[in-house]
Amino acid sequence: AARAVIGRCQARRRRGRCVLGWRVAAAITWSVLLLPICTAAFIILSGLDPFHPVRWISNSFNDLYTSYVIFCIFLMSMVIIIISIFNIEFYAVVPSIPCSRLALIGKIIHPQQVIHSFVHAIMGMLVTWCATVMTKGRFQFLAVSCTPSEGLEDAVPQMCLNEYHLFFLLSGAFLGYSYSLFYLINNMNYLPFPIIQQYKYLRFRRSLPLLIKHSCVESLHFVRNFCVTYYFFGYIPKVWICTTMDLHTDGKLHPLDTLSGLLDLSLFYHTWLSGVFLLMTWYIAWLLFKIYATESHHFPIQPTFAQETDQCLPKILNSNPPLLIKFLALQDLMLLSQYSPVRRQEVFSLSQPGGHPHNWTAISRECLSLLSDLTQRLIAQQEAAAAANGRAKPPVGELKVPPQTPEDMSFQSQRSNIVLRASMSPLVKPSLMPVKTSPGSDVGSPFSSPALNYKMGVVDIKSPWHGPVQSPHVMRRGPKLWTSVSDQQMNGSHHESFPVLSAARTGTEAVQPRFIYTWLQNKQEQIKTFLSKRALIMYFFSKHPEASIQAVFSDAQMHIWALEGLSHLVAASFTEDQFGVVQTTLPAILNTLLTLQEVVDRHFKLPHVSSKPPRISGSLVDTSYKTLRFALRASLKTALYRITTVFGEHLNAVQVSTEHKKRLQQFLEYKE
Amino acid sequence: MFPHLSGLTLPCAPSRAGCTVRAFAWHPHTNKFAVALLDDSIRVYNSNSATVPSLKHRLQRNVAAMAWKPLCASILAVACQSCVLVWHLDPTSLSTRPSSGCAQVLSCPGHSPVTSLAWAPSGERLLSASPVDTAMLVWDVSTETCVQLQWFGGGGVTYLAWSPDGSKVLAATPSAVFRVWEAQMWTCERWPTIRGRCQTGCWSPDGSRLLFTVLGESVIYSLSFSEYRGEMQGQVGGSKTASIVADLSETTFETLYGEERIGGEVHSMVWDPTGERLAVIIRGHPESPNSQPAVAVFRTRNSPVFELLPCGFVRGERGARPQLISFHPCFPQGALLTVCWSSGKISHIPFFFVGALEPHASPRRSPVPVPAWHPRASPPSGAPHTCTGAGCAAPAPIKGGFSLPLLSSP
Repeated sequence: AARAVIGRCQARRRRGRCVLGWRVAAAITWSVLLLPICTAAFIILSGLDPFHPVRWISNSFNDLYTSYVIFCIFLMSMVIIIISIFNIEFYAVVPSIPCSRLALIGKIIHPQQVIHSFVHAIMGMLVTWCATVMTKGRFQFLAVSCTPSEGLEDAVPQMCLNEYHLFFLLSGAFLGYSYSLFYLINNMNYLPFPIIQQYKYLRFRRSLPLLIKHSCVESLHFVRNFCVTYYFFGYIPKVWICTTMDLHTDGKLHPLDTLSGLLDLSLFYHTWLSGVFLLMTWYIAWLLFKIYATESHHFPIQPTFAQETDQCLPKILNSNPPLLIKFLALQDLMLLSQYSPVRRQEVFSLSQPGGHPHNWTAISRECLSLLSDLTQRLIAQQEAAAAANGRAKPPVGELKVPPQTPEDMSFQSQRSNIVLRASMSPLVKPSLMPVKTSPGSDVGSPFSSPALNYKMGVVDIKSPWHGPVQSPHVMRRGPKLWTSVSDQQMNGSHHESFPVLSAARTGTEAVQPRFIYTWLQNKQEQIKTFLSKRALIMYFFSKHPEASIQAVFSDAQMHIWALEGLSHLVAASFTEDQFGVVQTTLPAILNTLLTLQEVVDRHFKLPHVSSKPPRISGSLVDTSYKTLRFALRASLKTALYRITTVFGEHLNAVQVSTEHKKRLQQFLEYKE
Repeated sequence: MFPHLSGLTLPCAPSRAGCTVRAFAWHPHTNKFAVALLDDSIRVYNSNSATVPSLKHRLQRNVAAMAWKPLCASILAVACQSCVLVWHLDPTSLSTRPSSGCAQVLSCPGHSPVTSLAWAPSGERLLSASPVDTAMLVWDVSTETCVQLQWFGGGGVTYLAWSPDGSKVLAATPSAVFRVWEAQMWTCERWPTIRGRCQTGCWSPDGSRLLFTVLGESVIYSLSFSEYRGEMQGQVGGSKTASIVADLSETTFETLYGEERIGGEVHSMVWDPTGERLAVIIRGHPESPNSQPAVAVFRTRNSPVFELLPCGFVRGERGARPQLISFHPCFPQGALLTVCWSSGKISHIPFFFVGALEPHASPRRSPVPVPAWHPRASPPSGAPHTCTGAGCAAPAPIKGGFSLPLLSSP
């Protein structure tokens, strides 16, 4: 069934909606099934009466079967389903990390998030309404009959506002909103993959104590915050409800937006308990979704039937499926390379007619392109950091990427890009070559962005001193215009030939739209620099260095799996690869890994980059995306050692550049 | 406070008289080992370098175990009183006192004292266990995150051994039960023993056989597992019962020094990486004065049928008791056994043989093992010394402390 679902999703190519299919269904079913248990616990605890334990227990059990409790459970199941739908719509395998405070605010007021918060507030209100109904007692109804104030003895009973009920409902809305806010701020939509595989039940059982503790503490905080809010603003909804529903205030009761009104222990306990109940049911739905979604999936290597071709691991890796599917495929690759000799054999096998190692080629190509993408992104980020540090340009040729052998070039065209980019001065660089960036990367160095290169060409066209007269000579010296405009002006190349001029004119027209874009960008930069001098604005705009580093490595889990899968496969190929299919790609793999190793090493030497992971508290909220780069560094080294340990001296026969040979020797001697 | 731990003796509790070395660990790939001394400092000896880094950290208290990370140059995990310290040593550094900033601290509330450690052979995960904590922790060291593996009953974990193929983990508990975990989905099989807790255990190189001993019995048990294929997710695949493969009850041996009584409970047991030699520390009877602890070496074969033949004894200086034994993980000419004696000396005893897996028959392997005693036969230092069936090994001269005489690279 899973295969069918995934296959359909493949066909539809819709963004991760139907991918989860049965997993989502199972998660929702379980969270709905767990709801009655939570409800029972809630009813028992809400009727807490330590002085008459027998009556308390028997009353609670009698309450369990009443029709209104069953109705509430039904209603809350609906709530759970809606919450689960939001979980599904909002999940992400690559967390989005706001780099500045402004970005965070932007995320909070994003329409999607506003809808999320609004719906959660409504749902919170519904849950607390159910809670009041199940608690019974004085909280149950919004309107209660009361006798008017003392003066009139013959007054008819009239309807008064039950402020406790209102307090409850508002607390539910507040909790729902807070939940939604924390969901966003803590990146709870991020699906972290577990470090070890375990059965779902065990994972759930392991997280349950944490979940209960977290719900209790969170509920306490939220209720405290709510009390403060109600103390200051509580009169607004009260008055509003009273006027719209034509209710009176009961003079005999203490108003709750006073200190004495809020110091009601029973009220506080019940609010807290319903908060715990709300958070627990929601967190259970969230946890189950996480557990189900990150469960490993078994992809076939070779199709048994022709129509299953789309669901095979090599096909999925090379196509562009929803990210979750790609993650699952890479995870499966890592698992099979490590644990399953039979499936490894399929990877190393040759195609039946033709004898091509299609499986291996597809898998290794995808892994290598992922890794070189990362290399490229890191180089870009390092250049940006270097530029920000005030260095005019990063040292040319620092990377020492070797000249490529032809088969390497054919294997990974992207890497050549890196070579050229690294060995050129940053200012004259890439206008000629397409800058390929991975879809997830939004980190472009200012020097590598095409815009700037056009900027260079554009500024001199626009500048009034030159008018239309452009010499190829000047064009070539374009980059220098940044520093020596006056120089150009004095030279004043007025006597240039006209054919060039016309050529320049056509060029101008072609460049026009880009020119506007560039101009806009310039303006934007100017505004930014202007604003950045104001302290308050600075506070919002300033980029948090740690956050930007986290953003660069936010999808590193993919690369970690690619590294592990590739290295385990290569290591296994030493004994298992009968046809020698891995040998042909070994130089490319070593080159990619060693280049990445150099770049990662340099990354950890940058300023602002801590070399140790921050302490992760064992809380329910997973922050493992913050430490992915350390995991990447470790698994990169382990991957290289895995290959060198298995191949040993044989690696001397592999064609790699001298630089890399030296590095490999270091690995062979265990000196890295 | 922990009644189930009352009978527990750690490999080297500080109270035990004559204990000089707390822990010993060979690097899995190079000629390098770490020794934890009684003052909780750790020294790292390397055959290629004269510098001996000494590792000290304020949290490094009551070191009970050490393990080098596989597939890595120089990362050492140390089980301490309150945490696991992971030292990142620079293999090219000449510093003798690496700063405590080189150490990562892995701690988890309730998880102390940590007494056993095991790295996954693939180098990605670290297991730590404590006899007090019922949960075993699986660490991702690079990110310092851990996953608790919890079960109910049996207390904590006193001994951990990860099979060389990475598929299974032995976890012995302080009660009369031990568990074998399967390391992919992390499910476990529970093995009750009849008499006491599982004292020690070791895996065959392919992870298909587990040898273990039980406190209070002087026999070695063997437990075989169905071959690991990766397809049977979440199954450990152990056989129904364990069988006795060796009886080590007390026997009298004729030696050059007259009759000696050797035998008794097994204190620790190691299997060399080729699966051809098994070394066992036999704890003598504490009551009888004649009986003393000894290191017995067996020749083993794992396929096609399991075989265990006595090979000889290793003996130290008079009065020196063997405390820790370990095989070099990658000794090319056979096997290299390292013994830490109570006198504070560490000796390396090589066994030269050609592995049975080699296609050609070994001319040097004699069919009959010759248990032989050569005590004090090798002046000047009186090194412990043994002969294997394959011929006598050069005695290891030990000069007042630690040295690596046999490992000078050719």
